[in-house]
Amino acid sequence: MIETLLLVLVCIIIGGLLSSLAVHLMPVGGAPAAMATATGIATGCVMLMTGAAVTGLFTASTVASFWVTKPNVILVALSGAVGSMLMIGFTMFVGNLIYIFGAGIVPCSGRVAVDPITKDSQTEYKTPRTDGHGVPTASFVSGILGGFSGGFGGALIYVVLVSDSYAHFSVATAGIVAMGIFIANAIIAAYNIGGTIEGFHDPKFKARIRTGLTCSLIVSVLCGVIIVIAMLTGTLAGGVM
Amino acid sequence: MEPIVMLFAWMLIIAFLAFIACMFEDLESDIGSQSNPNSQIQLAPEMGYIHRYFNKAISGEGLSYALSCTISGTIAMLILLQLESVGPTAALLAIPVGAAVGSLVHMVRSSVCHVGREAAHKRFEQPIYLDVLYGHLLPIATHNFLAVICITAIAYIQSNLGILSGVAGASNPFPLPLLCLIWGLTVGAIGSSTGDIHYGTERAFQDKPFGEGRRVVYHGQICRYGACGTRTSKDVAAFCAKYGGPATGLAFGLIVLFENWRTVIGMTLGGVAGPGWNPSLAAAWGIGIGIVIAVVLVILARTIEKWARNKYGPFVGE
Repeated sequence: MIETLLLVLVCIIIGGLLSSLAVHLMPVGGAPAAMATATGIATGCVMLMTGAAVTGLFTASTVASFWVTKPNVILVALSGAVGSMLMIGFTMFVGNLIYIFGAGIVPCSGRVAVDPITKDSQTEYKTPRTDGHGVPTASFVSGILGGFSGGFGGALIYVVLVSDSYAHFSVATAGIVAMGIFIANAIIAAYNIGGTIEGFHDPKFKARIRTGLTCSLIVSVLCGVIIVIAMLTGTLAGGVM
Repeated sequence: MEPIVMLFAWMLIIAFLAFIACMFEDLESDIGSQSNPNSQIQLAPEMGYIHRYFNKAISGEGLSYALSCTISGTIAMLILLQLESVGPTAALLAIPVGAAVGSLVHMVRSSVCHVGREAAHKRFEQPIYLDVLYGHLLPIATHNFLAVICITAIAYIQSNLGILSGVAGASNPFPLPLLCLIWGLTVGAIGSSTGDIHYGTERAFQDKPFGEGRRVVYHGQICRYGACGTRTSKDVAAFCAKYGGPATGLAFGLIVLFENWRTVIGMTLGGVAGPGWNPSLAAAWGIGIGIVIAVVLVILARTIEKWARNKYGPFVGE
C-alpha cells in the first residue's frame, strides 16, 4: 500500500513538473501576437496549454480503455503526449498560414538575431517597433516539444489515477482531477513567464525555468498529498461522478 | 457494412462537425470582439477612437466555450436520461435543446459584458449604442448555437461510438458533459490562437500598411470605417468568413481527424474486436503514426516559412 501511495505521489509530481516545463516551452505571444506585434501563438499560456492537454487527455482516455483492467502507464501517457503535440502542431501551422497568406507577414523571432535551428537571420525580417511575429521554426519545434511534455504529464496523472493498480478513481473523476492539477501548474507557470515567451531559445526561458519548476514542485507535492489523503480515506474511490 | 468501415465513417462525420464548430466559434468571437483583439477595441476610446464595435470579453474563448458546451452537454444528458425509453432518437431533441440553452446563457453573458465595458468607457466619451447592442446579440447567439450544437453532437457520437459503429470498445469512457468540456476548451483555445490573427492583424488595422506586423504605436488606432459607412463587428465576420474562419475550422477539423484516425488505425492494426486483440500494439501504432504526423508538420512549417522569406523578402520601410 505504501509503495502504491508513493508511486502515485511521484507520478503526480513528475506530471506536474512536465506540465510546468511544457508551458515554458510554448511559444506564447498572448494578445500582442494576434496583432502580429509579438512572436508566438496568439493566445495566453494557460488557455493554449489547457486546450492541448485536454486533447491529449481525450486520446489517453480512449487508449486507456483498450485494457479491461490495468492500462499500460507508459503507452497511455505517450498517447496523450502525441495527442497534445498534434493539437499544438496543427494550431501553430494554421496560425502561420494566416500570418503568411492572410496578412502577408514573414514569421520571425524578436528575441534572437539568428534562429538556433535553421541558422536563418531574423533581424532584417522583423517589423520595427514589434517584438517579432509569426511562429518561426525554433519556436515551432519548441512548441511541439512543449506539447509532448505537457501531454505526457497530464496523461500520466490521469492514467495513474484511473488505473486499478493505483488510485482506482472513476474515469470522470480522474479526468477532472488530472485537469485540475494540470491547470494549477499551468497558471503558476504563466505567472512566472509574465507575458510572452518564444520557446527554449528565448533568454527568458533560461532565466525563469528554475523558479517555475520549483514553484511547480511545491504545487504538485500539495496536489499529490491531497490525492494520497483521498486514496487513504477512500473519499474518491470508485469516483464521485 | 463492416463495423470498422462504420467506425471510419463516423470519424469523418466527427471531423466535419469539428470543422463547422471551430469556424463558427471563430466567427462568433469576431462578431463579439472577444479574446485577444478585444484589447484593441478596449484601448480605442482611450486613444480617441470612438467606435461602433461590439465589446465583449467574457473570459478567454476556451473557458467561455467550455462553459457553453458543458451547459449544453449537461442539459442534453438530462433529457437523454429522462427519455431513455424513447431510445437513441431522443438525441434529436436533446442535442438542439441543450445547445439552445448554452447559447442563451452565452447571449446573456455577452450583453452584460458589452454594456459593462462600454459604461466604463464613459470617461472617454464612448457612448453605448443601443442598436449595436441589439443588432449583435442575435448573430452572437446563432453563431454560438452552431458551434455548440456541433460540439455536443461530437461528444454524443464519441460517447456512443461503440454502439453506433458496432465496434466494441470504440466509445470514449468520459461522460457526455465532460467530453463537451474537453472539446469546448479545445475549440476555444484554437479559435483564440488562429482565427484571431486574421481579425486582429488584418481587419482591425485594414487602413495600415499590408504585410507588416502592427507596431505598438498603432495599437488602439483601429479601422472604424467600411466601404460604406461606419464599420460594426458584423462587418468583421463577413470579412473573416472568407479566410480566418475557415482556416480556424480547418485547424480543429484536422486535429480531430488525425487524432481519431491514428487511434482507429492503431486499433485496426492491433486486431480490433477480434480474438487477436493486442491493446499494447494498438496503442504503439497510434503513437508511431502520431509522431510521423508531427514530423511532417515540422517539415511543412519550415517549407512555408522558407517560401515566405523568399517570396516576401526582408522588411522594407522605416
